Amino acid sequence: MKYLDAFKVLAKHRRDEIVVTSAGNSGQAWWAATRDSEATFYLDASMSLSTMWASGLALARPELKIWAFMGDGAFCMNPGMLMVERAMNLPNLTHILVSNRVYGATSNAALPRNDNDYAAIARAMGLERVFAFGALDALERDFPGVIGGNVRGHTFVVLEVEPFSDAEQKLEQPPFDGPELKYRFGREIERRTDCNIFGYRV
Amino acid sequence: MNDKSSDVARRITDELASCGVKLVASLPDNWLMNVIATVDRDPRFVHVPVNREESAIGLCSGAYMGAMGSAALMGASGFMTVIYAITKINYSYEIPLFLMVTLRGALGDHHKHHVSNGLYLRPVMEAIDLPYQVIDDARDIGLISRAYRHSRTFCRPFAVLFTRDLLRGHGGNGGHG
Repeated sequence: MKYLDAFKVLAKHRRDEIVVTSAGNSGQAWWAATRDSEATFYLDASMSLSTMWASGLALARPELKIWAFMGDGAFCMNPGMLMVERAMNLPNLTHILVSNRVYGATSNAALPRNDNDYAAIARAMGLERVFAFGALDALERDFPGVIGGNVRGHTFVVLEVEPFSDAEQKLEQPPFDGPELKYRFGREIERRTDCNIFGYRV
Repeated sequence: MNDKSSDVARRITDELASCGVKLVASLPDNWLMNVIATVDRDPRFVHVPVNREESAIGLCSGAYMGAMGSAALMGASGFMTVIYAITKINYSYEIPLFLMVTLRGALGDHHKHHVSNGLYLRPVMEAIDLPYQVIDDARDIGLISRAYRHSRTFCRPFAVLFTRDLLRGHGGNGGHG
């Protein structure tokens, strides 16, 4: 399925989830699909840390539901993160692995291998709520069931998508400077949860 | 571990709790085992053993954005692997981070293989303008909360570096000062 089409489906089914993106393409695609400037943290090029970052947030704010995107290039850099995610087993965290089989943010450079079975890797790590989608109609039909209701533990979703086309690679990057993004996002978290992140409220 | 080392570990955890730290993400270092064990059995903390030090940087940074206090506990070798994560996440977004790191390769370290840390740990921190405070004496454990609050005030990382003498209970007055 097309990367952008998949993200439009996710955006359509999003209710009040907080979103954390990974490097490059997922930030571009989510920005194109939502133009969300408050409830999404566009974590740029962390080289595999988006779901750890999101896990810290999900631990701190159990009343929020968090989606964290990660490209398969980032995943391959740090698959051991799943051991930590399994141990934490946060029911409010959904790890969405966007598998385009390339380093999308680096001109679609090839991964060391392009036949990894990410769902099998996750199950082998001991994760139980593992889902994979390779077709848009299945994503449209079944994704609401994956994210709906109360779940007992961490959720891992694989999206098999096509790499960005040359034209899609030119999609706008989320335009925020780091500190602006921190405060926009943080104030939204404060507003939703009545917490105090920065030591003062406005 | 001797009683003095256990006392130092308890005082370090008390100091962390006093400044609001809830999440402690750790990877082991032999010098830290008593501190890690003390954190692990202390209900004031959520202790998350992580798979690599970079994961601790991610976890603690995300926790900050949820208003949860946190500390990343690691050996010097582990710190040397996280430079990109710190500069990308904590510098780019100005997200505070509190690190507790062993001062490997310094006086008192018996392990030759830490020569690289002895030579480069502090120069690397200085090269990325990461402020640090060496704690060698149990009487200085109170500096932990000052350093933690400094990181929050300035929205930057700050590291405290623990010496072997401190963690083994041999520093200063042995942890009873």
